[in-house]
Amino acid sequence: MIRRRFPWLSYLVVVIGAVLTVVPFLDMVMTSFKGAGEAGTLPYRFLPEAFDLSNYRAAMDQLDLPVLFRNSVVATAVITGSVLLTSSLAGYALAKLRFPGRNLIFRLVLSTMMFPPFLFFIPHFLILVHWPLAGGNDLFGRGGAGLTVSIAALALPFLVNGFGIFLMRQFMVSIPDEVLEAARIDGAGEFAVWWRIVVPQTRPVVLTLALLTFVHAWNEYIWALLISTANPDVMTLPVGIQFLQDYVDPTRTMPIVMAGLVLSVLPVLIPFLLLQKYYIRGVMLSGLK
Amino acid sequence: MVNALTTATTERAAPRTRSAGPAIDGRARARRRQAVVAYLFLAPTLLFFAVFLILPLGFALLLSMSRWSGFDLGGIQPVGTDNFRGLFADGSTFLAPILTNTLLFALGTLVLSLAGSVVVATCIDNLRFQGLWRTLYFLPIVTTVVAVGNVWKYMYEPGGLVNGVLNALGLGSVAFLQDPDTALPSVVVVQAWASVGSAILVLTAGLKSIPESYYEAAALDGAGPVTVFWKITLPLLRPSLLLVCVTQLISGLQSFALIIVMTKGGPGDATNVAALEMYRQAFSYGHWGPASAAAFVLFVVVLLITLVQLWIFRRKGEDA
Repeated sequence: MIRRRFPWLSYLVVVIGAVLTVVPFLDMVMTSFKGAGEAGTLPYRFLPEAFDLSNYRAAMDQLDLPVLFRNSVVATAVITGSVLLTSSLAGYALAKLRFPGRNLIFRLVLSTMMFPPFLFFIPHFLILVHWPLAGGNDLFGRGGAGLTVSIAALALPFLVNGFGIFLMRQFMVSIPDEVLEAARIDGAGEFAVWWRIVVPQTRPVVLTLALLTFVHAWNEYIWALLISTANPDVMTLPVGIQFLQDYVDPTRTMPIVMAGLVLSVLPVLIPFLLLQKYYIRGVMLSGLK
Repeated sequence: MVNALTTATTERAAPRTRSAGPAIDGRARARRRQAVVAYLFLAPTLLFFAVFLILPLGFALLLSMSRWSGFDLGGIQPVGTDNFRGLFADGSTFLAPILTNTLLFALGTLVLSLAGSVVVATCIDNLRFQGLWRTLYFLPIVTTVVAVGNVWKYMYEPGGLVNGVLNALGLGSVAFLQDPDTALPSVVVVQAWASVGSAILVLTAGLKSIPESYYEAAALDGAGPVTVFWKITLPLLRPSLLLVCVTQLISGLQSFALIIVMTKGGPGDATNVAALEMYRQAFSYGHWGPASAAAFVLFVVVLLITLVQLWIFRRKGEDA
């Protein structure tokens, strides 16, 4: 209660800040309803003359939205599923099993968070180009385009996440060993202990990690851009919309681009708003981005 | 883990007193089995690290000291440190403007988003419906950089929202992204706008951990809100501030997605940054060597700045 001084000033600051945060989104939505020649002309007007839905149809016509959606959904689903599975398995081994090399592997996991992503763009691309026996390559990775032309290329570099393993391990350490030991004495194997006891107990952290991974994977731009430049068939939603904006006359297509952006933002915004407390907890835990 | 072993030992104590030998054998076997299981659980992760972490790091190091622009592995020519020397040679644009831009971009973003987030986070702490406010401020974080970049690019246009507001105030239009003098600051504002939300979250967590009793004591002493902010809130917030500084500066030094979307580094090299230059050298011109060298230089810069930051904060912590 002592903290609550000058509430009016606080309200003023927070509301002004919130307006500055939300207005660009409103401008995006408003522009997506504007008619031809109505956007980007002087004087600026915030509201559209009429709420014109044709931009959404045009966005769907100019972009192969079903394909873009499919690529985005497949890549995001594969990445999220894989990160959850590998983080849970590795986290369990590092938290609850004893084996030689445990500390070394844990340090390796921690160090992965230190390397910046841009260090890997070139080698990852070249590794995919030279992937053996894929895309026309021979056993030594020569001759073809490798995995760069496959949808797998969108997901491969993101299948394991050091931070995910770290998060899982930290959470699993707090599960009492007695519970696991009791299950082992009852004859459960390690896999059963992990699946029947550890996984159910880690549900909140699984949800947090799932949301974090989902949002990052869906919004990934640079790597997806690289891969789609090699093969337009695996273009994702963000890349497709940027492509539209780059190659068509901006004054005419701005409302169409904005309509496309609204469509690309909604699939993340809805789960975020529904589950924001888990996502926010995840970001607080990680200090991410 | 130690707990589990002692529990296991006491529970199995009875059979072991009867025949010590087999029980020890059994325990060794159990431990070996646990190690095998652990490596099975870790197998996908270790395989991934081998292919997508260790191999690429070695590959990048090799490339940074080679000349190679095709895809035929046989064509790699070792050139020693030529690529690194090329980056710092006379007439190279790497130090200025590119690396300078990178630092200005990261620092500008950090200052703006730190100032904004400290003010807003302290204010939110005074209000009701804190979750609602935080969610609002968080919207830009969950939005793809393509959306953020395009909306702002459009808002900076002569017929866009920002110039619309300027015109309504009786001011002239500004060619924000087309003028080399205003382009970099304009992009910095957007990056800061997009990252304020996560800084607010980290600072909120820090604010929550400050005991209420400190504020009560300050109120008893008759301290005004400004004194309270400078003498209590800010010093006790130092760990969270450090986290925000380090993470925002690191991501600022590395980011270029927003710049690709908004300006592609232009006009001229006015908004070109190191990561973007690296990307272009590699994927527009196929200069794998210089691009890899640039990547390592940037990595070292990021590492040094992070270490200096940690060192400064630790020293200040000891003084206080």
